[in-house]
Amino acid sequence: MRRLTEHDEAEINSILSREDEILPSSGFTVSVMDAVRREATAPSPIPFPWKRALPGLVVAGLALVLILISIIAAIAQLGKATTPQLSMSVPSAMPPIFSGGIKSAAIWTMLALLMTFVSVKLSMRLASGRV
Amino acid sequence: MSASDDQADVERALAGDVSAFEGIVRRWQTPLVNLAYRFCHDRGRSEDMAQEAFLRAYRGLAQWRKDAVFSTWLFALATNLYRSELRRIPARTLSLEDIAEPTDARASDGNLEDRDYDRDMTVRRAVFALPAKYREALILFYFHDMDVTTAARSLGLPEGTVKARLFRGREILRNKLPQLLAVPHLKEA
Repeated sequence: MRRLTEHDEAEINSILSREDEILPSSGFTVSVMDAVRREATAPSPIPFPWKRALPGLVVAGLALVLILISIIAAIAQLGKATTPQLSMSVPSAMPPIFSGGIKSAAIWTMLALLMTFVSVKLSMRLASGRV
Repeated sequence: MSASDDQADVERALAGDVSAFEGIVRRWQTPLVNLAYRFCHDRGRSEDMAQEAFLRAYRGLAQWRKDAVFSTWLFALATNLYRSELRRIPARTLSLEDIAEPTDARASDGNLEDRDYDRDMTVRRAVFALPAKYREALILFYFHDMDVTTAARSLGLPEGTVKARLFRGREILRNKLPQLLAVPHLKEA
């Protein structure tokens, strides 16, 4: 590849600095100012309804904290359990859903469905502004 | 074009006088349309892009911190917009290999002016076919009357990076268009 000489640079400078200038069309200013006026008179964007969403967010945060605490507690119990008879100690350290059989699982499933139903209804009410 | 006029118009526009923005549009419409044209080489699109740049400037007037002159802020905003617009919908370009070049610029039948015109047009088309980072550096450098500092500010890049890109961009042009740019050397030989 040939290196760029000062002469090459001057030549390219001379060609590219002579580029023709175009003029905006006659209606350009009017068109821009129309768009600016539309922008100025447009209603400001609707702010996020923090007041309405706050109770739901607090409940969700609390639920998350509770879930985390129960997971940490379960892990801590697992850690305390002695290793020699792992197969016997694990079931007692697990949350009730793993040790209570079908009845317990059904309760947890119902609870999850209820939570889903409540959160869907709440978000629909939030969206429709009826809270 | 006075910086104090810009500042006064910005303050009035921020105070709620929308018509004050018209002064800014009138002062800067030609440079902004021309800058857009250099990016897209399409007259209609360049006006659309410039209009969008003015709209964004209007929306962001409060963000102009006055540590740089208004035009520097405006050009940086417009340059960013034009670059992203061109990334979104690229302009129709030829590859560097497809740029037509006369086999020997000295052998052309046309007169000297015609040959110069053809050569200039070919070099400009070749700039347009360069990879974006070199093309943008060259466009901004020549648009700002070969002022590296202003070009670097508009691109939001360090001056050293812009200088390196300019050098590399010119080097590519030099090597892709050897016939067009070699005439004076042949004369000297």
